[in-house]
Amino acid sequence: MAQAKKITLPLTDETLKDLRAGDNLLLTGVMYQGRDAAHKRIVEALDQGRPLPIDLKGQTIFFMGPSPARPGKPIGAAGPTTSIRMDSYSPRLIAEGLKGMIGKGMRTKPVKDAMVKYKAIYMAAIGGAGALLSKSIKKAEVVAYEDLGPEALRRLEVKDFPVTVINDIYGGDLYEEGKAKYQVKA
Amino acid sequence: MAILSEKSVIDKQFLKEQMSLLLREKCYTTISPDVIYLMKKSYEEETSDSAKEMLKTMIGNVRMAENRKKPVCQSPGFPTVYIRWGKGTDIAGLKDILKEEIVNDTKDGFLRPSMVHPRTRKNTGDNSGVGVPNMELEYDPALDFMEILISFKGCGAELGNAIKIFTPAQIGKEAKGIKEFVIDTVIKAGGKPCPPIALGIGIGGQMDIAAKLSRRAVSVRKWTDHNPDPEIARMEEEILGMINQLGIGPGGVGGKTTALAVRYLPSSGELSLLGCKEGWDENLSHWEDRVSF
Repeated sequence: MAQAKKITLPLTDETLKDLRAGDNLLLTGVMYQGRDAAHKRIVEALDQGRPLPIDLKGQTIFFMGPSPARPGKPIGAAGPTTSIRMDSYSPRLIAEGLKGMIGKGMRTKPVKDAMVKYKAIYMAAIGGAGALLSKSIKKAEVVAYEDLGPEALRRLEVKDFPVTVINDIYGGDLYEEGKAKYQVKA
Repeated sequence: MAILSEKSVIDKQFLKEQMSLLLREKCYTTISPDVIYLMKKSYEEETSDSAKEMLKTMIGNVRMAENRKKPVCQSPGFPTVYIRWGKGTDIAGLKDILKEEIVNDTKDGFLRPSMVHPRTRKNTGDNSGVGVPNMELEYDPALDFMEILISFKGCGAELGNAIKIFTPAQIGKEAKGIKEFVIDTVIKAGGKPCPPIALGIGIGGQMDIAAKLSRRAVSVRKWTDHNPDPEIARMEEEILGMINQLGIGPGGVGGKTTALAVRYLPSSGELSLLGCKEGWDENLSHWEDRVSF
């Protein structure tokens, strides 16, 4: 398997140009954690013209709701949730400047179209590896929507966080390409 | 995930201790040995490097969770408890014990608070809530023991589920219609339920019955055993073979291992229904256990 590329967050257009579906990455820097409920609130704020708790421009959101942190640890188990939950909201966030999303499972066409149009990527973290992924998260703090508990919006500091690029800015899709490669033709 | 008690009278303290052990030692922090066995076997058989890497990471994740007594997965999903008991045993108080253990284990960091109010969506903060846990009870006077099987099944896997009501004509020759529906459901689920999955298929009864059978199918049987009914065993093997030709692979990135097991549970029915369920996310989600990972 190809060597993983080390990438510094936040993502830039320059970095995204070199990334292709299927690339394995190790992410270091700051990302945000949010899932369905936080996305809903962000889109509501946008609809009502209210300021957002974070500037989305250039940022990456990890679709995840952690289990509670043990004493002395920044976070509990932290694996990806199924990304399609966010598909009603993601195109709007991408139009606002979001550059990266991390989750699991395929996205719908409006999200894929928005990624190509606005130059953003979708990455997968390994589903079912929540204990292991939490090791790469060095710091976690709630930045908004604390009442949502595990669904609050958190700022994460990560080091060598492992992901695979699923959708790149050129329309490449690893889920489609991988399936086609290993499908046994009748 | 089951405990068997030979005591004719089970006192509450004993039950509480056993439930606590079962949950903390077996449900949250590891996955069942049959699932690990199948994942290791798949690792050996995979030809794709990225699929191999996925499986290796998933197995490594379980080992780390065991060693550190951490949850295997952040998602506890929705708990269902399968209970069989007989004339000499008593389940009075069991639901309260389970509720209390789940709330305590949430406070101690084994479970993410995941239960929200059905209307306001407000999180209860401790996994308490109406209908939690769901209990599936089976009384058989002849049983001289009590069996308790706990299944935590993540809800990402739920997003891949489907149900269909078939007319006899739609079922077709050798259940062709059912097989096509199953394969179509697995293709649409793709990487959403954290493959490799186990697929539970509930057939017959009416819609409610088929749906419950599908979860039971994937939750109560070991993923490594063979169905005692040779006709059903053949069907399970055939569908497993079909699924593993789809190329979806571990994590959906392409490969031979899309499913580890197919479990088929029929009931008689005037109409036929099909509930189709993805199972891996168990213990806490997806592949992780099932008896539930």
